Amino acid sequence: MRKEAWFGFSFMAIVVILVFWMLPAPSQMTNGHLGLLMLAMIVIAIMLGFPTAFTLMGMGTTFSFLYYYSTNPATALGHTLDLLVQRAFAVMNNDVLISIPLFVFMGYLVERANLIGRLFKSLHLATSRIPGSLAVATLITCAIFATATGIIGACVTLMGLLAFPAMLKAGYSIRLSAGVVTAGGTLGILIPPSVLLILYGATAGVSVVQLYAGAFLPGLMLTGLYLGYVMIAAKLQPKIAPPLSEEEQRVELPKFAEVITKTSRNNVVVGLIGAIKGKRNADVPMKTLVNHLIIAILPLVAVVLLVVPIYYLMTFPVAVETEGVQEMGIAAEEERSATDVQELTAAEEGGLQEPEEAGEAKEPQAEAGEQATVAAAPAAESAKAPPAVAKPTPAAAATAEVKPERTPAPLSYWITLGVLVVGLAAFYVIFTFERLEVFKMLLGSFFPLALIILGVLGTIIMGLATPTEAAAMGSFGGFVLAAAYKQLNFQVVKESVFLTAKTSAMVCWLFVGSSTFAAAFALLGGQEVVNKFVLSLDMTPTQFMLMAQVIIFLLGWPLEWTEIIVIFMPIFIPLLPHFNISPLFFGLLVALNLQTAFLSPPVAMAAFYLKGVAPPHVSLNQIFIGMLPFMTIQCLAILLLYLFPEIGLWIPSLVYK
Amino acid sequence: MQKLMLTVDKISTFVGKVFSWLIVSLTFLITYEVFTRYALDAPHAWAFDMMLQMYGTLFMMAGAYTLSKNGMVRGDVLYSFLPQRVQAFFDLTLYILFFLPGVMALCWAGYRYAGESWAIWEHSGITAEGPPIYPFKTIIPIAGVFIFVQGIVEILRCIRCLKDGKWPSRVEDVEEVDVEKLKATVHVTDEDIAKLDEFVAPKEGGER
Repeated sequence: MRKEAWFGFSFMAIVVILVFWMLPAPSQMTNGHLGLLMLAMIVIAIMLGFPTAFTLMGMGTTFSFLYYYSTNPATALGHTLDLLVQRAFAVMNNDVLISIPLFVFMGYLVERANLIGRLFKSLHLATSRIPGSLAVATLITCAIFATATGIIGACVTLMGLLAFPAMLKAGYSIRLSAGVVTAGGTLGILIPPSVLLILYGATAGVSVVQLYAGAFLPGLMLTGLYLGYVMIAAKLQPKIAPPLSEEEQRVELPKFAEVITKTSRNNVVVGLIGAIKGKRNADVPMKTLVNHLIIAILPLVAVVLLVVPIYYLMTFPVAVETEGVQEMGIAAEEERSATDVQELTAAEEGGLQEPEEAGEAKEPQAEAGEQATVAAAPAAESAKAPPAVAKPTPAAAATAEVKPERTPAPLSYWITLGVLVVGLAAFYVIFTFERLEVFKMLLGSFFPLALIILGVLGTIIMGLATPTEAAAMGSFGGFVLAAAYKQLNFQVVKESVFLTAKTSAMVCWLFVGSSTFAAAFALLGGQEVVNKFVLSLDMTPTQFMLMAQVIIFLLGWPLEWTEIIVIFMPIFIPLLPHFNISPLFFGLLVALNLQTAFLSPPVAMAAFYLKGVAPPHVSLNQIFIGMLPFMTIQCLAILLLYLFPEIGLWIPSLVYK
Repeated sequence: MQKLMLTVDKISTFVGKVFSWLIVSLTFLITYEVFTRYALDAPHAWAFDMMLQMYGTLFMMAGAYTLSKNGMVRGDVLYSFLPQRVQAFFDLTLYILFFLPGVMALCWAGYRYAGESWAIWEHSGITAEGPPIYPFKTIIPIAGVFIFVQGIVEILRCIRCLKDGKWPSRVEDVEEVDVEKLKATVHVTDEDIAKLDEFVAPKEGGER
């Protein structure tokens, strides 16, 4: 027997002791206590390792039979059977869970498109001058890849094969390298589109759309905290993450570019146009030149394509009713246009940041990061401002009455536009041929993935498509992606299809089991016993929240996140109204919390995946120690989210009034 | 015995694999529906029911397949560290205690439920004039029976393991994290990993 087994057994013993402590003598047992007993039994049965779905189903059936038998033995069997089959059919007819197989399928297809190698290489070149560049590139790669695929194991394993060796060779410390790979690989749990949030939405009856909108910023925040930590650590202690040598930073230039840089300027636009005009000075086919020029102006085109339609949308004449002159009418109008503006700014921000940031990620100085934040900051600020700016709009429109005129664009629009223009100009000034090469590589790896994620998320959050539709379009995008990278063949599709079937069957059967179980628990009145008990403790909302999160965190050790969500969330959710906590906010905290479970020793899955592909001398302990700082950051993130709920609730409140 | 177990495995796998292709049709159906709704402005009333039925059938019928590949989620904090005989003992007990009553009840309940639906030629009530729903409800007992048979085989496996002291073999299948395959996709070999040790070993000695 290993010591891990003893760890498990002692955990079980604690549960048993707790149950005996809480339960009265058998003579005074009520149905409610039977419910509690059931809850304790389920924890033990799960820890014994039996497939959870059937444990739940069997136990739920047995206990609901016991309940019905205690009320009326004659009809007990019929009622039990009805309950079971209705629960099963409800899961089969569940319009939230239906997106699970679709997102899973999308994940497998995107994974098989085999983009991760390119993604890592291009990001590594793009960030090469940032302190701790390899670690930064690893984190970003993980964040993108894990988000698009949602498959933690594959992401950690692949990064363990690609990034881990690269970092070790560059002289990074084992701990930092291991921490970055494991922490980055688990980001996909939280950042939508994640299956965890769908499952939570289906269990708690919270809209998945709102959960996605809410989890987006916390996910970005966590990634940002990781990146910040890595960069600061690398700056303070160059020993654990030495800067890359000149050799490793160099980008191979294609032949024609070398010719041009020799004869002309190194700037891409100047160089290319010079080469095209000056015909004979460059010995290069015209087609190559024009092609590259087209690629070079892509950022400009992207900005124009975004800015112009948004201008037209924003200044679209507001339809005005004549009665709109009254105070009430004006107020309503104002409200509406303010919402419109905010929505658009949000869209714009999300949309624009991507090309900008990526463009600037190439410019390795720290100013890149600053630029991006500068671009985001005014947009964020001005999103709050619009009511003031938009004030005259409805009034003016109301007086105009007959002729609907274009409303002037708000100030925030012009500020954003200005920042964009400055950013673009700066980008083109430093746009050298090396950077063009990196840009081309990013175009082939980073942008397709970012586009799929943003497309799926964007349509869901903006309310253009239901999660199901977006997931299906995402899977379709996965097909296109795999085809575009020439990875689409029958073998790949077949494997993805079978894996999808297995994963969905696992999750959905678990849901069948847990909803039977939850029904039995409710029938027996276990919920009431728990409610009474918790309310008798007379806790403040803060204390309750703390207790809930600690319990979930502890459960994260012996149980999988799927089990925690489907079994324990139904117990916590009914308690939330007592403490005035929104289930949406609670869900975000739970998601962040459960992600920590992947990094907490001794059962951290991520560590074992990495150990599986790490060189033999890297010990599990080194990986665990490496994960600790990232776990601390996660706890910090939970704290931040708790202290500033706006981080999670801001986007949902913008989009859904 | 082993032959019988593997035969049942094969049947479950075959059925599960056939039905798992529904995910492709589901993807294309929804994509097509989105296209007709937004681009052609011609939504189909039956699409929603159709989607749900495809999804429900998919996961129900894949249940036995998943079970046969040991793919159902289990809490392995303790399980994976136990000797195989002890694993088999716990599994056997819990199969009889929880699995058999639960799944038998599901089969029986599903049979009654589907029977009632057939008796009135029930149609879906989600949309007006929805498609027939009795075939969909029939999936419940069918999937239940497949799972039940597969469960019996799993019980036999436990008994076998109690006798031999080790788990009998299963047929291989695609794995979510297939390390060898992942190594091949990124062109990393075991030698490469072993070679890395030279970067790791000196650090342990405290040289750097």
